[in-house]
Amino acid sequence: MKRTLPQSLALYAGLAVIVLLIGLPFWWVMSGSIKLPREIISRVPTMVPQSFTLQHFEKLLQSTDFPAYLVNSLLVALFSTVFTIALALPTAYAFFRMKFPGRAALYRLILVAYAFPTVVVLIPIYGLFARFGLIDTRASLVIVNIAFALPFSIWMMRSFLASVPRDIEEAAIVDGAPPRVILLRIMAPLIAPGIASVAIFTFIASWTEYLFASVLIVSDARRTIPVGFAGIIGQYQIDWGLLLAGATLATIPVVILFAFVGRWFVTGLTEGAVK
Amino acid sequence: MRTRLLAVASLASMLLAGTAYAEPVSLTLWHMEQPPHRVQRMQELLDEFNKAHPGVQVKQEPQSWGEVYAKAPAAFAAGNGPDMLFTIPDFTTLIKGIDALVPVDDLAKDLEAKHGFVPATIAPYQYDGHTWAIPAYNMAISMWYRNSALKAAGIEVPKTWSEWKAAAEKLSADGKYGIGLPANKQLYTDQTVYSFMVNSGAADIYNEDGSIAFDKPQTVEAYQTYADLQKLSPPDSTSWTWGEAEACFASASCGTILQFSVINTYETQAEADPADLGVAPVPHADNQSDSATISYSNAIMLTTKDEAKQAGAKVFLAWLLEPQNYGRFLTMEPGLFLPVTNDGAKAESFWSDPIVTKYKSQVETMVANSQTGKLFGFTTGKVFPSIGAISGQNVIAETLQKIVVDGQSAADAVKAGQARMSEIAAK
Repeated sequence: MKRTLPQSLALYAGLAVIVLLIGLPFWWVMSGSIKLPREIISRVPTMVPQSFTLQHFEKLLQSTDFPAYLVNSLLVALFSTVFTIALALPTAYAFFRMKFPGRAALYRLILVAYAFPTVVVLIPIYGLFARFGLIDTRASLVIVNIAFALPFSIWMMRSFLASVPRDIEEAAIVDGAPPRVILLRIMAPLIAPGIASVAIFTFIASWTEYLFASVLIVSDARRTIPVGFAGIIGQYQIDWGLLLAGATLATIPVVILFAFVGRWFVTGLTEGAVK
Repeated sequence: MRTRLLAVASLASMLLAGTAYAEPVSLTLWHMEQPPHRVQRMQELLDEFNKAHPGVQVKQEPQSWGEVYAKAPAAFAAGNGPDMLFTIPDFTTLIKGIDALVPVDDLAKDLEAKHGFVPATIAPYQYDGHTWAIPAYNMAISMWYRNSALKAAGIEVPKTWSEWKAAAEKLSADGKYGIGLPANKQLYTDQTVYSFMVNSGAADIYNEDGSIAFDKPQTVEAYQTYADLQKLSPPDSTSWTWGEAEACFASASCGTILQFSVINTYETQAEADPADLGVAPVPHADNQSDSATISYSNAIMLTTKDEAKQAGAKVFLAWLLEPQNYGRFLTMEPGLFLPVTNDGAKAESFWSDPIVTKYKSQVETMVANSQTGKLFGFTTGKVFPSIGAISGQNVIAETLQKIVVDGQSAADAVKAGQARMSEIAAK
């Protein structure tokens, strides 16, 4: 159906509003990071930079531990994502297909993990990790991130598994494929959008996690971006240029993840699966 | 007991002499000076100390104020807390409450005799018959302005609230705001509102028996004046913290603000003339004769039960307050951290810092203002544990929001504030 001119105009106007709403804060942060301090703090904002400097990025990368925070965040987020997917996929498949006592109750019970505010479990987890010598390790953050991302990831994966036609799985069973093969060779490629969704959810949750990262990590060298960056910025005196440069660099890995994972996983995944 | 004291004294002597007959005492210091330049300056000082004292080795682990209230109790409960911990008065009550704190009476007495503490800096740490921390640096709120702006408007530096209001009204022209006062439910607003309260005779929020003494005519007067002046502030000031107020001043958009210091931002972001930067005591109520202010004395607590570590920590703290070292400690944030000792206020190591030298007259005024500092909940010589919750829940700022945001009268808002504080104190 061909759109009329008013319809097209309304559509593009709507799109422009959405792009502005989403893009303006990013533009504000990124353009601000290359302005001179006087222009940044001016009460009359400039949408297009009237000055240009890379001094904030130089200061951030040369005078602070931001590069170390960036590496730590990447390691923690990547490991959390990989392990969450590795655990969520077989668990969701087990809940979806296998029969065992208490399956339905257990499936509902796993979401109880979200019933408690995270701060409530902070002190017990600290004590537990201290006993196992995990305080001030990146592994502690990976464990916590997995623990909090896993229940929702299982639920999400199970929903995607339920959307795969039963015929495909039955064809594999007829061919004698064991459950492991069915899961990894047949189901996993078909629910790749689900895996991508879980990956993005876990990566961003790990990337932005503050509470546990601030308490479980003690030394500066192991801090992740949210905590380390908060320290760089300071409390009473804020270096706005440094803040904007750090915020710009901190968003890049997430933008890359969206661009890369989104295209890699989602394009034409189920095409030709069922004839 | 006597034998134990002798043993500790002997160990302290050995450590002081820098001897290394045994394994060195390793100490962990948690501080909340997390910006990189402060960590670097602290490391320089620690390297120097560790080199001069092979028997005591101190390492730093920077934390942040945002997390330490949860992190420190968890760390002490798990048995891996620090040996020394930076503090402010209400945080000290929290750490004392979990029995992780060691009194420093003798050391405080020695340091008082040697360097002379500014009374306002040590008083918030002296209660229940002990001294609970050694003051390290002071921060006090002052009124900041630009000389050129006042001169152009033909006004003198305001000393009283009515003069301040007249000045702010005159400075509110050409898209600029005569004053920048926050009204956020946040610590900065607690601090600026209390700066008004101490200048109207409403400094005490507790009675001697621990009941709340917030609702009184002087408090209402302070809130009413604050709310009137706040109307001359930028509309976004209801969400301000320290940084936004500083930016407003540095960009010459706010004529006057209350702040601990604006020197660093003025120097690095405003790129303006140092001689144009003005600082003065916070104006007082018209019926008062002198100005006072809010001051935060940051201090260092001893949080180890190990006697050898305690002795080592005392050596370090005594070394840090020596004038030749102390100035370099203070100038980790030049123009913000002020001396807590009388000889620290004269130390060459403090006044020779390039930024302090450049803004000498302003820093001198800040030091003078800090002498009149008070802190809510720590003014009567008695400390009540509920001050931690009153401060943490920003009840003082919340009371202001009832006037500025909800439109209540000052009297009603203060009455509600009294009820809220009493409710917290009763728990």
